[in-house]
Amino acid sequence: MVVDPDTDLVVRVGRGDRTAAQALMARHLPGMLALARRMLSGQAEAEDCVQEAFLKVWTHAARWQPGKAKFETWLYRVTLNQCYDRLRKKPTEPLEAAADVPDGGDSPDRGLEVAALETEVSAALADLPERQRAAILLCHYQERGNIEAAEILGISVEALESLLARGRRTLRTKLSHLRDGAV
Amino acid sequence: MSENDRNDAQFARDIFRALPTTAVPAGLEARILADFDRLAVRRPGWLGRFGERLWPGAPAWQPASILALSLAVGLMAGVFVPSPTAYSTTSDQVVTAALDSAPVMDFDKDP
Repeated sequence: MVVDPDTDLVVRVGRGDRTAAQALMARHLPGMLALARRMLSGQAEAEDCVQEAFLKVWTHAARWQPGKAKFETWLYRVTLNQCYDRLRKKPTEPLEAAADVPDGGDSPDRGLEVAALETEVSAALADLPERQRAAILLCHYQERGNIEAAEILGISVEALESLLARGRRTLRTKLSHLRDGAV
Repeated sequence: MSENDRNDAQFARDIFRALPTTAVPAGLEARILADFDRLAVRRPGWLGRFGERLWPGAPAWQPASILALSLAVGLMAGVFVPSPTAYSTTSDQVVTAALDSAPVMDFDKDP
């Protein structure tokens, strides 16, 4: 039996409880959006993607069977599948990310540095195969454990580790010039 | 994990930690909740929920049509399949058996 902190909220959402829907959204939307944004390198597409994922939640919540799988795992898998669909329909546009980068906070220079870093990282991520990208983002961007990330991706932990090793190596090679500077 | 792998992992972590967090636009929350409200309006009544329990995930016409079909088959069977009593003749052949007495199993005696 899987202990799932979301079960109560999902059951209430299934009964049409709007407050529970808001709470569920507040809990997961930031992480889902961040993941989709890095997967797709575009804010608008990422927003559409998480909106579609939540639409699936609202539609399926009444049929959710607690104990079968962790809700969050299912939710992130749905989000990633939405991302894969969009990636297959349309080639990525890695440089779009630079347009909607938030500012760096302290100074205009820092803001520019962050924007440049964001652009470079987005471009490097966009060059990775989608499964490697998803594995890297789940483990190193969202800092999830390997078991959880493997469950989300629907693969074994060994397969995940293989994806991670290849993805990290490529990322490091592409971004090696950042090592002593921006990072 | 080799030394190289460890360094690659550390590099990836550092890169992502240096990136700014993604803010959630208020408009997105409103759009997602609007989807919820739109679906809540169409949420099924008790009959729909019963259908959902009976046949999860199926549209309402599926359990309804299966129920109607089984009712029709039952009615047809009732009307057209002859029952065993239909074969009985009108002759006065009455068989009685006492159910409250022990059966007699003495084969040496004639009844």
